[in-house]
Amino acid sequence: MSTPVSAAATGLAEPAGVAARARALTKAYGSGETTVLALDSVDVDIARGRFTAVMGPSGSGKSTLMHLLAGLDTVSAGQVWLGDTEITGLKEKELTQLRRDRIGFMFQSFNLIPTLNALENITLPMDIAGQRPDREWLDYVIETLGLRDRLKHRPAQLSGGQQQRVACARALASRPELIFADEPTGNLDSRAGLEVLGFLRDAVDKLEQTVVMVTHDPGAAAHADLVLFLADGRIVDEMPRPTAESVLERLKRFDVIHAQPPHAQPPRGRAETDGDQGVSGAGGVQDAGIDSKPDRD
Amino acid sequence: MLKATLRSFLAHKGRLLLSALAVILSVAFVAGSLIFSDTVARTFDRLFASTSADVTVEPKEDLEEAVPSGQTPTLPARLAGRVATIDGVARSRVDAAVENITVVDSENEPVGSTTGAPTVATNWYANDRSPVELTSGHAPRGEDQALLDKDTADKKDVEIGDTLTVLAAPGSFKVEVVGIVTFTTTNPGAALVYLDTPTAQRELLGSRKVATGISVDADPGVSDTELKRRLADELGSGYDLKTADEQADSAASELGGFLDVIKYVMLGFAGIAVLVGIFLIVNTFSMLIAQRTRELGLLRALGADRRQVRRSVLTEAVLLGVAGSTVGLAAGIGLAAGLIELMSLFGMNLKSTEMVIGWATPVVSYVVGVGVTFVAAYLPARRAAHVSPMAALADAEIAGVGRPLRIRAAFGAVVGAAGAAALVGCATAEKTSSAASLLGIGLVLTLIATVIAGPLLVRPVIRVLGGAFPAVFGSVGRMSQRNALRNPRRTGATAAALMVGLALVSGMAVASASMTKSFDEQIDKTLGADFVVQNSNFLPFAREITEKVRDTDGAGLVVRQRFAPVKVSMPDGKSVETTAAGYDPRLDDVARVTYVTGGTSRALAPGRIAMQRDFAQDHEVRTGSKLPVEFPGGRKTELTVGALTDQPGAEGFGVEGGLFLGMATIEEFVPGGQDSALYVNAAPGTDADTLRDRLEKTLDPYPQVQVRDQADYKELIREQIAVMLYLVYALLGLAIIIAVLGVVNTLALSVVERTREIGLLRAIGLARRQLRRMIRLESVVIAVFGALLGLVLGLVWGVAAQQVLALQGMTAFAIPWTTVIAVLVGSVLVGLAAALLPALRASRMNVLAAIAHE
Repeated sequence: MSTPVSAAATGLAEPAGVAARARALTKAYGSGETTVLALDSVDVDIARGRFTAVMGPSGSGKSTLMHLLAGLDTVSAGQVWLGDTEITGLKEKELTQLRRDRIGFMFQSFNLIPTLNALENITLPMDIAGQRPDREWLDYVIETLGLRDRLKHRPAQLSGGQQQRVACARALASRPELIFADEPTGNLDSRAGLEVLGFLRDAVDKLEQTVVMVTHDPGAAAHADLVLFLADGRIVDEMPRPTAESVLERLKRFDVIHAQPPHAQPPRGRAETDGDQGVSGAGGVQDAGIDSKPDRD
Repeated sequence: MLKATLRSFLAHKGRLLLSALAVILSVAFVAGSLIFSDTVARTFDRLFASTSADVTVEPKEDLEEAVPSGQTPTLPARLAGRVATIDGVARSRVDAAVENITVVDSENEPVGSTTGAPTVATNWYANDRSPVELTSGHAPRGEDQALLDKDTADKKDVEIGDTLTVLAAPGSFKVEVVGIVTFTTTNPGAALVYLDTPTAQRELLGSRKVATGISVDADPGVSDTELKRRLADELGSGYDLKTADEQADSAASELGGFLDVIKYVMLGFAGIAVLVGIFLIVNTFSMLIAQRTRELGLLRALGADRRQVRRSVLTEAVLLGVAGSTVGLAAGIGLAAGLIELMSLFGMNLKSTEMVIGWATPVVSYVVGVGVTFVAAYLPARRAAHVSPMAALADAEIAGVGRPLRIRAAFGAVVGAAGAAALVGCATAEKTSSAASLLGIGLVLTLIATVIAGPLLVRPVIRVLGGAFPAVFGSVGRMSQRNALRNPRRTGATAAALMVGLALVSGMAVASASMTKSFDEQIDKTLGADFVVQNSNFLPFAREITEKVRDTDGAGLVVRQRFAPVKVSMPDGKSVETTAAGYDPRLDDVARVTYVTGGTSRALAPGRIAMQRDFAQDHEVRTGSKLPVEFPGGRKTELTVGALTDQPGAEGFGVEGGLFLGMATIEEFVPGGQDSALYVNAAPGTDADTLRDRLEKTLDPYPQVQVRDQADYKELIREQIAVMLYLVYALLGLAIIIAVLGVVNTLALSVVERTREIGLLRAIGLARRQLRRMIRLESVVIAVFGALLGLVLGLVWGVAAQQVLALQGMTAFAIPWTTVIAVLVGSVLVGLAAALLPALRASRMNVLAAIAHE
């Protein structure tokens, strides 16, 4: 059921290439009887210069997919490329460098080092690498994110939204090939969340960055160019030019499919996969992501 | 609640491990020292009780010998005959035993112990009370036969038929070993030579008419105390009479001096371990509570009151204390067994199977172990009790970080000011005794103040210390500096553990460097002789050596130095017991003495005495004062003060008063004394090197003494001072081990606390190597901070201590810069070592698990 995502299928303009791709990507936890497949032979291409959202219920494997694409975790089988580099098979040290130099990260919470001020947090990956930041670009990013007068503040002195903006700036600062955002709005109120999503959108449109965002929230996903739907460790669908309503509609639909017994194929995800959390009871766009717990695959 | 406490204790047992180790170390040293001293005391009590005669008659010991005079007190041998006639006496026999001898083999190598245990020569008699039995050969008969104990014979490869030379006070003599004796009880470590009784009297004491004591055995039915009473009635008060029990006690207490040193050293270790351990435990509990703020808040929200929370934390502490004390007690038994084994290296054959564990040992162990943990956990427990129920809900900032340090600052300032005042008082005091007690008070108060104020100093000092880190190590350096600054209390307490040890050491190092320098200067100033001949332990040596040195070709002037205990009745009505030095008349040619009034000739003239000016003033003595003086053996005379000196007190071995007099006076009133030093000048026409060669050749058969020129003499003094330092360094070693445990502990718990942060850093590309470096740098900065505090405090102490020494005449001040630099470099190494495991652990963390960590 895995679906290769091709440019043609998205109906969007021809992208500038592929930022990352995975083939037959499989991740299993445990062994023998208790083996749980978090990802089941997934093929995926992440288009360069696009904003891709990954959706799915808890345990669907969306965070695992992100971790594997970002070189944070090791695959059980399959291959992952970042640009032309095959990252499956890279050593730990090379992976660390790859993350540092070529990937930007935003997490749901605890994004910043509490002892460093905003500016120091923003330039941290480059400092670690011993590289000088591109001043002009850095200024541009800081301006765009409206952080100019917050640079000397420590994270504890910033609001949640400001903290996520600093994290966003950090992800952008080194002009990485790919930015991964793991539930970046999960801990924010709706206004701050919208703001952060706006910045991610701008990063793609104005700064020509590539962003992959994992989210529960159809409203958040609506900011993306393309939404990938994951369930039971597989990509079950994709939706170009999503709106909050269409995403919510789609989620409901495949949730219903899932609820139909008997299954054509039993779910292979984690135990809680079957739950109807994430959609049922979703009265509106902003409330859709009721499962506000961070997804910890 | 108890169930929750137990669960929590077990859940955190890994994190309590290092605290437990601190408790274990403290208790082990306490228990070990108690067991060891009990075992030794029991062993020797038994030995002396079984080997002492029913009653012993000895010469009256009237004056304590602070500095050995070399004289052996004797009584008339015919007393034995008189005693034998007393009703109730079964047997009486003369004892002729001396400890101030040296025995050498045919190659002039000493046969006795070289580690300070005595070499004893005594008269042989076989009976059931002898501590030895003849196991091979035969009893000594005649003047050239002797027995040697088996332990010594084995150690030095002496066999029956070998010839030994005994160097005794009256002269040296050769003996053939005709038998070997074996200890039937514990060998206290001495080398034993047995001679037949007439030979012992003549060769060791100089006359067959004298003895060192009379051993008396009672008839059946006559008790020891009854016999003693009868002897006292008959002999009067001119002798010391001791029953077997009293003799055993006094013998044991003589040996006890040496054993007490070991005991106090051990207790010193225990003290350091306790002191440093407290910091470790305080830190551990503070951190555990900080990490469990939410859990404690939940307990409070569920209805636990403050008292219950506090009690729960304290119960955990008591559990830790009990567990640590139990293991520590076991470790203490091991330590005592190790010490007992170690003692056998010094020739003292104790048996670890006869180990004595008195009731006090476990009691004291548990009191120390549990007490220390309880006290150390008390403040953290109070803090835990103040966690609000809201903490369960809030994503609370770690408790204690943000709280102001104002109370601490005020308290620290008050205590510090009091301590500083005491130290200033000590520096300006004029009496040694008051200065010393002020020094003690000042040390304790300034130490407490530094511990209290430590967290306040963290920010300013570490800002400077780690100031270069961001420039040198980039963001890794910046983060490690800020991590060290993150929780000043924690950093302060961790560094305090290191500080205590280093303050002690640097204080002692300053004091000893100042002492060494003072002695050097004084030797330069006062020692005018080409050579000094003396024993490296400053013990008196056989008179024969003096003769041989005088007869050496090329030796010019020889001035003898000899000590004698004296009791002087002062004009102010006080009676002072001290030691006086006697010199030959031409003292000016070998030493430079500065006089306030009079001069050497008037000081050393017959019937005269000289003393130090300040001492004289204190006791209203003037030149020309006539002082009644009592020498050992009840010999009394009156001496006129001929001169007052301006010598600092360090002269004459720091003996009170700096009294000295003519050698003739000492020879008259302390017959049979031995010289402690010979000052030798080369004869005209002989150069010093030639004389040295010849003196060394002359002294070849006398390994107990050496020839030293000024430089050698300084070296000897330095070595004496260094011995004191070795002990301090050993204490330091232990303090550092525990302090390192403390740093490891803090880092390990901090790493756990910062798991998510570390995960984030790893995710955004911090290499494992960089992460390890970050933790290492933090560790180094904490260690150097502790070392710096310790050094500064120690230097202040050293300056104050030097002022006390100055009152003793040691006026020079020196800072041992090599030690200071070594301590700083060492602290960097300590920091690196302490970071090894925590850094490894942090770098091994799974990135994803770390990010997801709560």
